[in-house]
Amino acid sequence: MDYEIKDCIDAGSAYCPCHLAETGDCIVCSQLSGKTFCDCVNWKGVCIYQEYILNNKKAKVGRDGYLCKIIKKEVYDDKLYVLTINASRNLVHELIYPGSFIFIRNPQTSTYYDTPISIMEADTKENTLKIAIELRGIKTKCICKLNEDEKVLIRGPFWNGVLGLKNIYKAKEGVSIVIARGIGTAPGAPVLKKLYANGNKVISIVDKTPFTNIFGKEYFEMCNSEILQCKMLKDGELSNEFKTILQQILKVENVNLIHCDGPDILIYELLDFVGDSVNFSCCNNSKMCCGEGVCGTCSTRYKNRVVKRLCKVQIDPKHVFKERRLI
Amino acid sequence: MKVIVIGGGWAGCAAAIAAKKAGAQVVLYEKTDMVLGLGNVGGIMRNNGRYTAAEELIALGAGNLINITDSNTRHKNIDFPGHKHAWLYDVNKIEPAARRHLKDMGIELNMISRVVDIKKEEDKIKGLYLADGSYEEGDVFIEATGSTGPMGNCLRYGNGCSMCVLRCPAFGPRVSISMRAGVDDLQGEREDDILGAFSGSCKLCKESLDEDIVKELNEKGCVVIKVPEEDVNMDKLKAKVCQQYALKEFAENIVLLDTGHVKLMTSYYPLDKLRKIKGLENAKYIDPYAGGKGNSIRYLSVAPRTDDMRVKGISNLFCGGEKSGLFVGHTEAICTGSLAGHNAVRYFLGIPPLVLPKTTVIGDIIAYANYKMMTKEGRRNRYTFAGAEYFKRMQEIGLYSTDREEIRGRIEKLNLLDVMNQKLV
Repeated sequence: MDYEIKDCIDAGSAYCPCHLAETGDCIVCSQLSGKTFCDCVNWKGVCIYQEYILNNKKAKVGRDGYLCKIIKKEVYDDKLYVLTINASRNLVHELIYPGSFIFIRNPQTSTYYDTPISIMEADTKENTLKIAIELRGIKTKCICKLNEDEKVLIRGPFWNGVLGLKNIYKAKEGVSIVIARGIGTAPGAPVLKKLYANGNKVISIVDKTPFTNIFGKEYFEMCNSEILQCKMLKDGELSNEFKTILQQILKVENVNLIHCDGPDILIYELLDFVGDSVNFSCCNNSKMCCGEGVCGTCSTRYKNRVVKRLCKVQIDPKHVFKERRLI
Repeated sequence: MKVIVIGGGWAGCAAAIAAKKAGAQVVLYEKTDMVLGLGNVGGIMRNNGRYTAAEELIALGAGNLINITDSNTRHKNIDFPGHKHAWLYDVNKIEPAARRHLKDMGIELNMISRVVDIKKEEDKIKGLYLADGSYEEGDVFIEATGSTGPMGNCLRYGNGCSMCVLRCPAFGPRVSISMRAGVDDLQGEREDDILGAFSGSCKLCKESLDEDIVKELNEKGCVVIKVPEEDVNMDKLKAKVCQQYALKEFAENIVLLDTGHVKLMTSYYPLDKLRKIKGLENAKYIDPYAGGKGNSIRYLSVAPRTDDMRVKGISNLFCGGEKSGLFVGHTEAICTGSLAGHNAVRYFLGIPPLVLPKTTVIGDIIAYANYKMMTKEGRRNRYTFAGAEYFKRMQEIGLYSTDREEIRGRIEKLNLLDVMNQKLV
């Protein structure tokens, strides 16, 4: 299947139409991107143009910021922080889907410090969000300074943290492979849960790098998933051990999905290795600042001057790297 | 050879049948869960010049769908303002009958399958992409996606989605295949340079009308009621697609026809005003559901074509129905669709295409509408055997007839008897 279906993750949501419609840059609607006729190739169940006109030709109100209390802070290996945050019932409910994420920052800092972080767990009973942050740079350090009972500023909900979402929802009653490296378990946990809930047997391949223990082991165990450990990358290429494990599973099982949470280099090599034979999904590694398609941080450029704002554009992972301009 | 038909309205069904009869493997894609599209809320056949066209179709060997509408007729030979000898088929029975016929012929029907794009090599279409990303290849393609909607067009050029039978929100709207193939669509116009036109009628729920009206409808097929003088709106006629019904009588009167539901011969009519009319105090719309507010917008997506129904610029794409011109009506769709289906097979076999001579009404309207599409004034008109400009022309050039033998004789003389019934493959 080489046809690219380009969806907008926000289409049809409470935040659609967004300001991209106001400037004629809507990702989905031809009438809101410079044309005067419908060309509804990516129908999402709602006429965005109609929503726009009915809203007096204005964008819907954007996402809000919420001050939320950190109720638990756990530290692993000095550089991995797991925060459990109390949030409103509505927000938690909006963040239960695979791919959900929020922007988070220390309330003492400015909006420049907004950091996109995946939701590892949204607990609708306790109204809590669990996130994992690896200490990396200025922004993460400012967040991880905060202590239990202190407040953190959250902006959300956002949903495009996983690409190839359709493939995850399609995978039912079969065998799925989940690949996670390091902090990748965080965006991977809701995917694991979804796959398990849809009656799939999940086989996980995990690389604990750069941590000393497998992070988030409980999520794999909760979903009855077998865990195969290996080092996935060697000199920027897939390790032989990893390739052998993968090949063996693919030979024996009829796999309905490979989901990969790791760096782009891993996803890229994996796509190349597996080819078109199996449906694929992966975490969205785009850099993001606003999450609203405006700032351009997540813009990736492709052949023929195509630009995809990956904070909003939901595509199959196969089309993330194909014909991409690196310079 | 594999012929793929996109769109299962009257034109698409006619094309599929014609291509099948000519010997092709035929696969049809329809975005909703019903074939016939707007035919599910239509019903009027054989009025005025459509009688001649229907008989021509039968004589040409393309009478399958006419036989189906004939055999599901509720009222024969009724007259209403401006129209004579109309036959009204039952819209509640027609769809399963037509669908069964297609299936029995061995046509592969793919329902709830929306075609969204094409793969092209030079000037040829290789295959189609469906909304779920899947891909299907074929040898010849026939586009019968119509020109109605999507919702954005109904809003920009009309009063917004009125929830018509096409049900865009539920199944996704049509996509112009010819435009995806790089051929720009042409548009029909109405007064004041506004593009598109409103669909021309609504359906009321029979049970919501007065008993006396229902009785008269069941007996006679037609009821005409005067509109209160303060509510007569002549301007409304301009916006209408069905110019054969854009007559003074249709503004001053409410014309109701019995097609199983009650066909209200106006694009839309505010419910509170409608309910002021005696006998309609409890009236309720069933198509479009918001018939009090508006109706679907049409004619925004016409493909440029030659008289053998091939889309200009693409060698293996044919078109029928509204996609092929500013045609109004089922009969017109069946005519253009049938020819498209037949010629699709001829194209593949390398046989010269069938261009119907202008001494047939079908050949003449196809050529006439095509010629008129090139003029500004022509784009403001609609072309139908049932009235307006073209019916007048039919009468003037002596093509209008209700004499079956005469019409059959004409086709026979042209050596075209049963031409579309012949297996070519």
